[in-house]
Amino acid sequence: MKANKLHLLAGAALACLLSSAAYADNGPVAEKPATVASPDVTTERLNNANQELAQGNWITHHGNLWGQRYSPLAQINKDTVKGLHVAWTMQLGGVEGGGIWSHGGLEGTPLAENGYLYVTDGWGSVYKIDTRGGKGALIWKMDPKTDHDWAGAVACCGVDNRGVALYKNLVVSHTLDGRLVATDKETGQVKWQRQVANPDKGEVVTGAPLIVKNTAITGVAGAEYGIRGWIAATDLDTQKEVWRTYTIPGKGDPGIETWKSDNSAEVAGGGSTWVTGSYDSATNTIVWGVGNPGPDWDNAFRPGDNLYTDSSLAVDADTGKIKWHFQHTPNDPYDYDSVSENVLVDVDGKKLALHANRNGFGYAVDRTDGKFEWATPFVKKVTWTKGINPQTGKPVEYDPSKDVQGYAVAPHRGEPTTDFCPGNMGGKNWPPTSYNPELKLWYIPVIESCNRVTIAPEKAVPAKSREFFTGGGPSQPVRITGSVTAIDVTTGKVAGKYETKFPNLGGTLATKDLVFSGEPSGEVYALDGKTLQKLWGFNTGGGVSAPPMTFEADGKQYVAILVGLGGAWDKWFIDSTPELKTMQPGSTLYVFGL
Amino acid sequence: MRALVVGVAFALSLAIPASAAQDEAALGRATFAKANCVGCHKWHGNGGGGYGGAALSLRKTELDREQIIHTVACGRPSTGMPYFLRGVYDEDATEHPCYGFTRKDVTSSDNHVAEAAVFLRPNEIEAVADYVLNNIKGHGEPNFAECQAFFGDTSRVCETYKPQSAHQMPTPSTIN
Repeated sequence: MKANKLHLLAGAALACLLSSAAYADNGPVAEKPATVASPDVTTERLNNANQELAQGNWITHHGNLWGQRYSPLAQINKDTVKGLHVAWTMQLGGVEGGGIWSHGGLEGTPLAENGYLYVTDGWGSVYKIDTRGGKGALIWKMDPKTDHDWAGAVACCGVDNRGVALYKNLVVSHTLDGRLVATDKETGQVKWQRQVANPDKGEVVTGAPLIVKNTAITGVAGAEYGIRGWIAATDLDTQKEVWRTYTIPGKGDPGIETWKSDNSAEVAGGGSTWVTGSYDSATNTIVWGVGNPGPDWDNAFRPGDNLYTDSSLAVDADTGKIKWHFQHTPNDPYDYDSVSENVLVDVDGKKLALHANRNGFGYAVDRTDGKFEWATPFVKKVTWTKGINPQTGKPVEYDPSKDVQGYAVAPHRGEPTTDFCPGNMGGKNWPPTSYNPELKLWYIPVIESCNRVTIAPEKAVPAKSREFFTGGGPSQPVRITGSVTAIDVTTGKVAGKYETKFPNLGGTLATKDLVFSGEPSGEVYALDGKTLQKLWGFNTGGGVSAPPMTFEADGKQYVAILVGLGGAWDKWFIDSTPELKTMQPGSTLYVFGL
Repeated sequence: MRALVVGVAFALSLAIPASAAQDEAALGRATFAKANCVGCHKWHGNGGGGYGGAALSLRKTELDREQIIHTVACGRPSTGMPYFLRGVYDEDATEHPCYGFTRKDVTSSDNHVAEAAVFLRPNEIEAVADYVLNNIKGHGEPNFAECQAFFGDTSRVCETYKPQSAHQMPTPSTIN
């Protein structure tokens, strides 16, 4: 009886197989050309990333190592962009919550090589997607099994992962719980991993690694939790840490004289480094941004300029030794991190590093020595300072003889609440700028903002780790809007502003004659690169909080963007944009083509 | 408010056996997580400052059972505390047990009370109130045992409470 039944089942199975073969073309898995092994990503290829971009690849986080996010691909241009439409989409994962977060989100920049995309979801799963043949097919997914509760409890600002890096035959990524993971590019199997950050201390990692020669550079998040910030380099061939440079000096280190109280800066100084920086191979220099000091808003707790918080830092790529620094907001009472990318550009014979700061000013410094060149406000409203001194590059109210800075208006222990513009989240947050080297225009994703801080003076450095150490908290009494603002780098002046209903929480992409960006209310759009006139838009229906990028497959140009309500906005800042309360979490890759 | 508490107490009085009491404790802990109380008050209930403002410490609270139930059901105007019981602000209800307010009052900017992302049933509100009273209110600093009871042992989240210092770099767990 049983044997007969087995035969019956076997027969039925065979019949199923035979009949399904007739429907293979309509099946869910696209018929694809065989997977082609990709060549190694070498130092040489990374140093020539502009050539890769011209071939339709995007092999490093910001497009090239200089951080420019500019692609020379021109099939999609200001004349053809009106025909841009969704080519295909793919649902990804990582939407579940953990720790204090009810959902994960997408903030990543896809990488592209020879028609394959490499993307991450909020919890750090890596997806390799074949885009050839005009549709997406998942080749493999690597789930690093991030410890959701351990990391999610001390992630201040969302469950996010901003992307992978490529090195030789490895896909290199971070996890929120502080690991550096190396995955085989062809098989999707983890080759090795190491713990770089320690969530027991309140450290997490949200940024994409930067490959500098044969090392992966890691930055850390957690300045709201009283960490001591650092930048670390891991040798990808030996898997060993080569150097770790602390952004907060210890006893006897240069810069310790800028922490004047007895409160030990080393323990809780802050100085996080969670945005991927840039690299100048000509001088072997990494330029990286350093975040706020701790406690965020109680600057009387930490008198002194608080180096190297709120600074752009240049370090030697081989040793991690600090070459120069430029501090934007000394003794910061606003949470005006300088974590943002430094975009390296050559203009009029000058070698510059451009940086759009949380404090609402776009800065240019000489990238060989950190000397100040110019600064200009890119937000509509600035109240914290009357302006930047054109000689020193410091706010005009900055008084080096004072231990505690008050600027024009600042939270302080004498006043329970203080309102200031831009808001503490900054005139620009992590979302990346982009630069058009032909137009010499620098496009900034702007949060046109003011907000309010209620001060709560800290008495001592926290005895236990993993607790907020912020000296108060922000609230949102007024509406916040946004813009894409262009600065002409030859003049250092604002050249145009495209205003948006909502803050820019995703970042920009520059091409020959276009700028791409997205709105947290769902729209992905393209602007004329010169006039900033809107030429195209598409509503994805999701909370766009990731940067667009562009690549080529089968000789055809595409624009890709991850869409999935990411970051901290919907938890901490939503009152300033009440309409966004209806945005639902999700996790989708959108690919647009002509 | 009294009508609210009586209504909820009636629902609870239907549960009798001892095993149901254990279920009740488990329900309370699960509700604390599911309703995302953790999001502001943290798993240990101590709340604290930083982003989101200062969520109150449930360890230091002096609210009694009735007041906790009321606070969860009704939220607190002009604070971040949302309301969790469906219908409490309905305009056309016969009673307005939450501060006498209706939806018109709490959607204005003066007495704003946000809706919770997830509404709770009356028995869940009672269970979470009892969970707070039995496991959080009046307790000292959070410790390893309490953390393990909350999270289980599949996460490293409780390591920081272990007696030895947490300042050694942990080794990464193996991939499954």
